[in-house]
Amino acid sequence: MKIRIIILMLLTAVTSGLQAQVPEPAAPQEEAILLKGGIAHLGNGQVIQNSFIAFDQGKITLVADATRTRIDFAGYKIIDITGKHVYPGFILPNSQVGLQEVSSIRAMDDYRERGDYNPNVRALVAYNTDSELPPTFRVNGILLAETTPTGGRFSGTSSLMHMDGWNWEDAVHTADVAIHMNWPARQTGQFDFATFTFKRKPNKDYDKQVREVAAFFDDALAYGAATDKERNLKLEAMQGLFDGTKVLMVHTSGPKDIVDAVAVAKKKGVQRVAIVTGTDALLVKDYLAANKVPVVLTRLHSLPDREDMDVDLPYRMAVELTQAGVTVALSHTGMLALARNLPFYAGTSAAYGLDKEEALKLITLNPATILGVADKLGTLAEGKDATLFVSEGDALDFRTNKVVQAYIQGRQLHLKNRQQVLYERYMKKYGLQK
Amino acid sequence: MKKVILFWMLLLAVVFAQAQETFPRNDVKDVRPRAYAFVHATIVADHQTVFNNGTMLIKDGKIEYVGGARDIPAGYTVYDLSGKYIYPALIDPYSNYGEPKPERPKGNFFRGPEQIQSKRKGAYNANEAIKADFDAAEHFVIDNKTAGQLRKLGFGAVNTFRADGLARGTSTLVTLADGSENEVMLKEKAAAHYSFNRGSSTQAYPISTMGYIALLRQTYLDADWYSRQNPKPFADQALDGWLASQSLPQIFDTKNWLEVLRADKLGDEFGVQYIIKSGGDAYKRIKEIKATGATLIVPLTFPEAYDVEDPLDALQVSLADMKHWELAPGNLAALYQNGIPFAITAAGLKNKNDFWKNLRTAIGRGLPEEAALQALTETPARLLRVSDRLGSLHTGKVANFIITSDKLFSDKNIIHENWIQGKRYVIKPLDVADYAGKYDLQVGDRQFAVTIKGEPGKQKARIVINDSTKIDLKTKFSQNLLTASFQLPKEKGSIRLSGWRVDNGWRGSGELVDGTWIAWSMLKTGELEKKENKKENNKPDKEEKLGQVIYPFVAYGTTTLPGQQTILIKNATVWTSDEAGVLEHTDVLLKDGKIAKIGQNLSEPGALEIDATGKHLTPGIIDEHSHIGASSINDVATNSGMVRIGDVIDPEQINIYRALSGGVTAIQILHGSANPIGGQSALIKLRWGASPEEMKIKGADPFIKFALGENVKRSRSNNSIRYPQTRMGVEQVYMDAFSSALEYEKKWQAYNSLPKKIKAQTPPPRRDLADETMLEIIRGKRFISCHSYVQSEINMLMKVAEKFGFRVNTFTHILEGYKVADKMKEHGAGASTFSDWWAYKWEVRYAIPYNAAIMSKEGVVTAINSDDANQIRRLNQEAAKTIKYGDMPEEEALKMVTINPAKLLHLDNRMGSIKVGKDADVVLWSGHPLSVYSKAEKTIIDGKIYFDLEQDQQRRAYIRQERARLIQKMKDVKKNGGPTQRPHPHRSYDYHCEDIVNDSLTN
Repeated sequence: MKIRIIILMLLTAVTSGLQAQVPEPAAPQEEAILLKGGIAHLGNGQVIQNSFIAFDQGKITLVADATRTRIDFAGYKIIDITGKHVYPGFILPNSQVGLQEVSSIRAMDDYRERGDYNPNVRALVAYNTDSELPPTFRVNGILLAETTPTGGRFSGTSSLMHMDGWNWEDAVHTADVAIHMNWPARQTGQFDFATFTFKRKPNKDYDKQVREVAAFFDDALAYGAATDKERNLKLEAMQGLFDGTKVLMVHTSGPKDIVDAVAVAKKKGVQRVAIVTGTDALLVKDYLAANKVPVVLTRLHSLPDREDMDVDLPYRMAVELTQAGVTVALSHTGMLALARNLPFYAGTSAAYGLDKEEALKLITLNPATILGVADKLGTLAEGKDATLFVSEGDALDFRTNKVVQAYIQGRQLHLKNRQQVLYERYMKKYGLQK
Repeated sequence: MKKVILFWMLLLAVVFAQAQETFPRNDVKDVRPRAYAFVHATIVADHQTVFNNGTMLIKDGKIEYVGGARDIPAGYTVYDLSGKYIYPALIDPYSNYGEPKPERPKGNFFRGPEQIQSKRKGAYNANEAIKADFDAAEHFVIDNKTAGQLRKLGFGAVNTFRADGLARGTSTLVTLADGSENEVMLKEKAAAHYSFNRGSSTQAYPISTMGYIALLRQTYLDADWYSRQNPKPFADQALDGWLASQSLPQIFDTKNWLEVLRADKLGDEFGVQYIIKSGGDAYKRIKEIKATGATLIVPLTFPEAYDVEDPLDALQVSLADMKHWELAPGNLAALYQNGIPFAITAAGLKNKNDFWKNLRTAIGRGLPEEAALQALTETPARLLRVSDRLGSLHTGKVANFIITSDKLFSDKNIIHENWIQGKRYVIKPLDVADYAGKYDLQVGDRQFAVTIKGEPGKQKARIVINDSTKIDLKTKFSQNLLTASFQLPKEKGSIRLSGWRVDNGWRGSGELVDGTWIAWSMLKTGELEKKENKKENNKPDKEEKLGQVIYPFVAYGTTTLPGQQTILIKNATVWTSDEAGVLEHTDVLLKDGKIAKIGQNLSEPGALEIDATGKHLTPGIIDEHSHIGASSINDVATNSGMVRIGDVIDPEQINIYRALSGGVTAIQILHGSANPIGGQSALIKLRWGASPEEMKIKGADPFIKFALGENVKRSRSNNSIRYPQTRMGVEQVYMDAFSSALEYEKKWQAYNSLPKKIKAQTPPPRRDLADETMLEIIRGKRFISCHSYVQSEINMLMKVAEKFGFRVNTFTHILEGYKVADKMKEHGAGASTFSDWWAYKWEVRYAIPYNAAIMSKEGVVTAINSDDANQIRRLNQEAAKTIKYGDMPEEEALKMVTINPAKLLHLDNRMGSIKVGKDADVVLWSGHPLSVYSKAEKTIIDGKIYFDLEQDQQRRAYIRQERARLIQKMKDVKKNGGPTQRPHPHRSYDYHCEDIVNDSLTN
């Protein structure tokens, strides 16, 4: 009797486990692991065709060429990945992951606070670890994402999250990495129904709005210096920009607006500035390179902004900026679910002129650098987080991106998400073979 | 004898022309002679008749005589017009003069609540936009201010209407005289007007150009049916108005050349040849415009140059806008040179004073002056069927004419007077005295030298103290008097003079600064020294260099379209999407637009050989679900089965070229998903540069869009009141529509089976285009592509179809197709889905990227579609995702964007695979066609290379060079003080199927 009950309970647990919304978060790394024989794409431009990658207690302990290195296999759980590819976990910056579930349903949205000056609102605390999107990201190699508020002038503070975890405290990699702001637009767009076109008008208030932004920085600076003051959460949140602990991510388009944004931010003592933009960055790429301002690109797979533009210009954005000496990270804008295609944006950049390993940097080392976490993430290097994955083939191409193992700080992820569960269920229903 | 009859006729005309004789009098009788003779003028009676030293007699507003010099009968006031010209007054066939302005519609079209019924009170049409009962004559009120502006330009009469609605009712022909409406109205009902602009209507349907066309089409049928009923089944004054105005000239308002073609095509369906008011860009497609056979009414609206000083700002001006700026002034010349008849209108000019400037510019571009005159006089008179009264100067016609200083189109010409119905309106007086010369001004005991200079009427006087000091002598000349004043240097006030004209100057009295009165005189001492006119020699008459028209008229268009070639592709990896599989090192010969041979070591003399070593050749990509290439996508009637995308193909959208760059050769342009029964689709090939009709795939089966779920129940519009609001209601919409279609069929069968004699006496049943469409579906003559997401609704539609004995051809989007793949297979439906979209709304919560693989493996014909102008460029990559998600074999993955969509569109006998005899629609890829690293190098349709990576570079270079040239030209305009406008981007809207917004919501 007892046994029956236990079996029944076990069965219930198993089935409910399968039906759970998201896979169970991974358990901590318990033993040292050695990935042996894989083609290691280090994320810094280098490849080791036959590699040893070892990690223990969540950190990478060895990155070596297996053909030149002899190691003692004892003490490792050895996983042979010969012929497979191993990559540092891909990083998705500028995303609403965890803050948005079904975009058309307002109750499921948590990314846009009311008001214009919200540097103090923190995406971290709203991050939903039960969101069904991260499990679909990580099967494509995206293991980290910057979860980011939107809207207003200062949208809020973002955090870098692992795509796995029991709760937000558990899932966070680095809290409060960036403040996102929307630069005033020099021109405001309006849809004109009479001609059925977008028409842009000069923003008469542009100068005024820029002065407001500058004044906000001034207030924040003054607040930071003052000894006797009433607590101001907004100004307090801004302090990280001046001591370099947070990066200012400025969303803007329009080449002139980009220049203004950088100039004002630098003048006001912001230590690290990055621009979030699209093809307009190309018009001021030399300025960006000279001022060492990195760029987070909006969706690469997008249409040219103008009729006359080169048909493939959006595809070439990262290529041309990189060649001009700008540090570029790729992101995704638009339908959040499609952010899982981030690896293929890097692939496109390779198709349009970047070396494949250079293209890989766009989603590994570069975003880590921009977000200030390159000491822990972005490459396969000893001492860094063991946040990495193994793919059957080239992870930047559709046909070969098949993630078979993934680790976040050494914890091996359950890769089966609900979409795969449904896949298997219906294949079984129809009696079909995979 | 003839002369005698004419005399009596004229006399009678005069007697009966006294419109005011029925009006009560409040004075003694005051009938004036109103007889005038104009002598010694150059009279241009019409565009081919000129009388030098001519005479014209007019009496009581009519022309009595036009010809050479003759005796003037007694009782005529004589005007000597030596050196002057007389022309017929101009006629504007397209005006809103004196008509009420339509109200602007209020409210938000997109949020709801939808206004399903007409709000117009009274016995009028079911649709508010049909205002065919409007009678401009009834509402006409003289507006002397506007009339004055038009008279100044030389106009004597206008055809005026109210610009409101798709059917706008009748216009009235009036002169621009003041006085009473009774006198100026020459023809109460002059023409019937139509447009692609629903105006003040707030009714939900129609909101798109294709909906407008559908409604007009149905109204033609309704009016015909209504006219055959006796007694009438109901009163509809709009249809009454429509029927009554069919015999009038039919004038259709359009915005651009595309709409000209659309209007003409609509007219052709009902045997109507419209006169078409065009947008001034006919030159872009002159061949197609000529083929319409329509006479155009053409505006003189030429865009201003853009301010392109800042290179970054200048980027916002498209090449198309720049080229149009340059070429628009040549539009009239192009019409003339191609023998297209046209009239000219002043309509649309922001500044009416641009009329003559622009007209002269057009003449400078090659429009002959005679043709211009004809287009402003005789042609509008002919179009409005009043050639017997207006448009030229001949005996018996209305005395509408202008007196000018010079030839009408000369730069120097001044319109002095505009006579309308024999009434004189002085614009610039003829008899302005010329006082130019040197004078001696004597004021008391002081003497000054004075010069008077300038054009008569605007002359200015100056006191010459010495060579370097001149003082303005402020003067006000009138015929008999002069007022003048001047202030001497160092004096605190001015000396003021008043005097009268004497033979050689003026004399009078005046007041000095200190208040002393004095006598003064200013007498002519001689003429001014003539200066040599240098200006005219300064400008070397350089022929202006102009760019060429490109097809399509947008960036990446070209002056010549690709021709059909014999092409031999050598040594490619050929993905046949056919039983033959993938063939290595294979040659493919394209000839006469077809795939002629596939094999090894082929050779073909004269063929263009392409070395495809290391490259891959695939069939052209076919998108089952696209919204590019049409001006509008959604209309909103619950059953929009009468709406046709094919009516609004727009071949000028840049997204067509962009899709070509991704290897796409054919698409289905589907109606949107705003309603359970959407409009009819259009199947086109991406023949970049072709006309709308040439884009269409000839002989393709007809399709229609259906839609289910959140969009059709208006889930995101909280205020929506439109039926249906649930998936339950959606089923009932279909049940109702198909049942209604069967009833409709019965009605017609009953009518058609009547004995001949009875049938001839029985009015036929009303034709209903929505019912007819539904019937086509039931009878297997039209095929459904149904937007769908969740399994319940997919299942439902299949069951509805089975009840009516037909099959659903395709479920498109179909993100939960994997849940009912077995049922779809059994039903015989195909699937066209997204590769990896989900989570953007509730009904795609359970969408999985394995969907395509599951359906395909279960035996459903499965395609991957784009629904998106962006994604359409990477359909090969979208197909590749089925390898990642679902382990599809590579060949099968590629089939999802080639032969499978071809099957779904019933085009698989002609395209979709590389097989001898099929259309030469192929793509050459730089590498593996499913790899992210590959690019389409050549996209070939019908054996014509429409996209080529190398040609693309040339096109980019052309865009750069043309832009640079035009920017320089525009900068010159600015430098020379010409008007410029701020650059603004013209980004057109990229449709998705959920977009309710549409192309033509004006007002």
